[in-house]
Order: sequence, then C-alpha cells, then structure tokens
Amino acid sequence: MSDRAFEILETKERILADNDAVAQTVRSRMREEGTFFINLMSSPGAGKTTTLVRTIAALKDRYRIGVLEADVDSDVDARTVTEAGARAIQLHTGGSCHMDADMTLRGLDAFDTKDLDILFLENVGNLVCPAEFDVGADARVMILSVPEGDDKPLKYPLMFRVSDCLLINKTDVEPVFSFSEEACLQRARKLNPDIAFFPLSAKTGDGFGAWIRWLTQRVEAKRETSAAG
Amino acid sequence: MKVIELKESVTASNEADAERLRAKMKQEGVLLVNVMSSPGSGKTTLLSALIRDSRETKLKIGVLEADIASDVDAAAVEKLGARSIQAHTDGMCHMDAGMTARALEEMGTKDLDVIFLENVGNLICPAEFDTGSGLNLMILSVPEGDDKPLKYPLMFETSDALVITKTDAMPYFDFDAKRCAERVRKLNPDIRIFPVSAVTGDGMPELEHWLAAKISDWQTGASPAKR
Repeated sequence: MSDRAFEILETKERILADNDAVAQTVRSRMREEGTFFINLMSSPGAGKTTTLVRTIAALKDRYRIGVLEADVDSDVDARTVTEAGARAIQLHTGGSCHMDADMTLRGLDAFDTKDLDILFLENVGNLVCPAEFDVGADARVMILSVPEGDDKPLKYPLMFRVSDCLLINKTDVEPVFSFSEEACLQRARKLNPDIAFFPLSAKTGDGFGAWIRWLTQRVEAKRETSAAG
Repeated sequence: MKVIELKESVTASNEADAERLRAKMKQEGVLLVNVMSSPGSGKTTLLSALIRDSRETKLKIGVLEADIASDVDAAAVEKLGARSIQAHTDGMCHMDAGMTARALEEMGTKDLDVIFLENVGNLICPAEFDTGSGLNLMILSVPEGDDKPLKYPLMFETSDALVITKTDAMPYFDFDAKRCAERVRKLNPDIRIFPVSAVTGDGMPELEHWLAAKISDWQTGASPAKR
C-alpha cells in the first residue's frame, strides 16, 4: 500500500517539473507579445464567468482581451464571454480537473494571442488541482464567493498560498450568509501575507473599481516592459 | 500521456480495493455513503443536521472527514456526538478506496448503521474514484447555479441522489429548480433529487426517510452489494 503511494508521489513530482519547463515557454512567449496573462481559479459556481463578463465590459474599450475557457465539457462559458466582447476559445480538458502548461500552450497555438493586451485563462472549477500547476501566467487570481464560507483558507490552503489576488464575490448576499470578510482576510493573509484582496459583487458591480485598477496597473507595467525590450 | 496511464493503473487496483471494502461493509450491515460536492456547498452543515436528527431517527452515525488539511469539520461533527475521524489526504484531491478502508479501520465501524464519508470538496476527481461506498450522494447548493450538470456531468452521472442545499437562499439567486432537475435527469434518469435547507430543516424528513429505507435495504440484503 505505502509503496504504491510513494510511486505515485514520485511520478507526480516529475510531472510537475516537466510542467514548470513548459510554463516558462508560455511565459517568455507572453513577454514577447506584451500580453498580460491571468490564471483565474475558483470552486464551481463561485462566479468566474460573471466576474469575467463585467471585467471585460470595464476594459474592452481600452484593451484587446482574449479568454481561454477551460471546461471538462460544454461550451456555455465561451459563448457568454464572446457575447461580452472578448475573443474566446473553448478548451475541453477531456475529463482532466485542471489546466497544465502544455494544455495552455496548445490553447495559445490554436488561438493566436499576438494582438492581445490581456489574456484570461478561466481554469476548471476546482480549488485543489489547479493550484498545483503553473500555466505560465503573470498573475494567479482566485475567486471565493460568500456562500462558500470564510473557512475555505483553512481547507484549501495551497490555492490561497499561490494566488496573487483574492476576489471575494457575491458580496451582495452577505446579509444572507454568515461570512466575515475580516476573518477570511486574516486566514488568507496568514497563508499569504502579500495577497491582494478585493470584495466585490459581479452581479451589482460593487467593488469593481479597486480590482480593475489593480489589474490595469499590471497590464500597463507589462506593456512597458515589453516595449522596452 | 503519463498522467492518464497512472490514473488508469491506480483505478484498476482501486476497483478491487473498493469491492473488498463494500463486501466488508455489507457483512457488517453498515451503509457507507460517499458525500461529494464543491467546496462550501454545505456538506458539513447537512451532516450536522442528519446527526442532530438522529436522536429521532435512531440511526447510529459515523463520519469520516476527508480534507487536504485542517480538522475543523471533524471537530464540528464530534461536538454533535457522532463518532468521527479526520483523514488528511496529503494534498490529494479525492479519496480512493484504499484510503477509505484504512481510515475506517482506524475509526471502527461495527456497531454503526451508516457512515458518511465527507469527501474532499471537488466536483471532478472524486467522481472518478469508487470509494467502496454503498451509496453516492452529491450536494449542489443553490448559489452555485443550475448550470452545473452541464459542466461537471460525471459527478451527476455517478450519484444515486442529489441533495440541493441552501434552498432558503433561493430568492436571492437565479436558480431554476425545474431546469436543474431536467439537466440532471438527462445525465442520470434514476437519480433521486432532494431539495433541502439544513438551516430551516425544509426537506430534511424526505431525505431522512429515503436514507433510512436505503440503510434497511442494505442491512437486510435487499440491495445488492455493489453500486
């Protein structure tokens, strides 16, 4: 029993090492193209697509935006973000519970990202496996929605540790659920002191200003670095 | 690809582990229920309600809490008086049959009627692994949305029952119960659907009645020793 578990672990480490190499390929390609690449992760139903739609609406007049929609199945999200004004491609993971760097690279090849300023990867809805795989993004952004509860940093620590930014979505229903933003922030900061934290509602638009500013600063910085050489 | 091969070989031996555990549970007359859902959809709250009601339903309940880290859930159900054990999956995104068997051995199962395995919060990976359970029960909460059957079909296909939780929050979300049921039944025509609110208690009696019947079938041998 324990022998088998050990073998699994070894293989996993090798897979992760291979993955990191491909992630670097993605990263240098995005640097050349001056595209700011965001890996967006959350539980199922936390509001990734709704948040994307509102973010696209706020930025589409200034920037050219692309979305890689990753799903186990279905193409409902790609259709939704296309209607919102982004260029999108739907990736089917064939049952896989996360995107890895190689799948991302293949998505980029099929998509043609050269003229984009911002590229979002909407990862598979899952708080566990996507946290382990670097896809070559400039920023990892995670969404936690109010109905999920403020205890999630205790249960899915790796996701909070690897994320650069935490969006607390569905703040409009905060009165209905016992969710403490403060408790959640404390728990998240204990794992990751530098994590940026924005409570917002993708439904009403509340709190979007601060998030859009955070994002815009990073998109601009990337464009400048890329233009400089 | 290496990942897929590894997954297949693990599943191949997992099946044997699962059958062994299922036969053991059958012999002991203990129904193992594999409870699966997204993070935060209310697994622990639902189990807490079932434990609280067990004073009336007279069921002897055990809980196997599986988490990547932390023991907040085991602490919560233990406080209510259920026998429980916390399994840490060491980063793993699901429970397999071998892990389940080891944890149950540690906990002791003999004098129980039903054991709930609270799986890792994840709609994908747990659906692929037979844990040796006699029943698969999944939870979808109203705030997650009625489109989830379209996106995570395997979970809906492998579940015997779907509990829709947080129905008390229905007025605040755009969740169409009928549309959800249609999508689910398209994947799994035989699935039982129970809308409940563990907070208000709405719908709990129907779920408990069904569970009691399933436990009785399991103990009397009316239900076959396989899923």
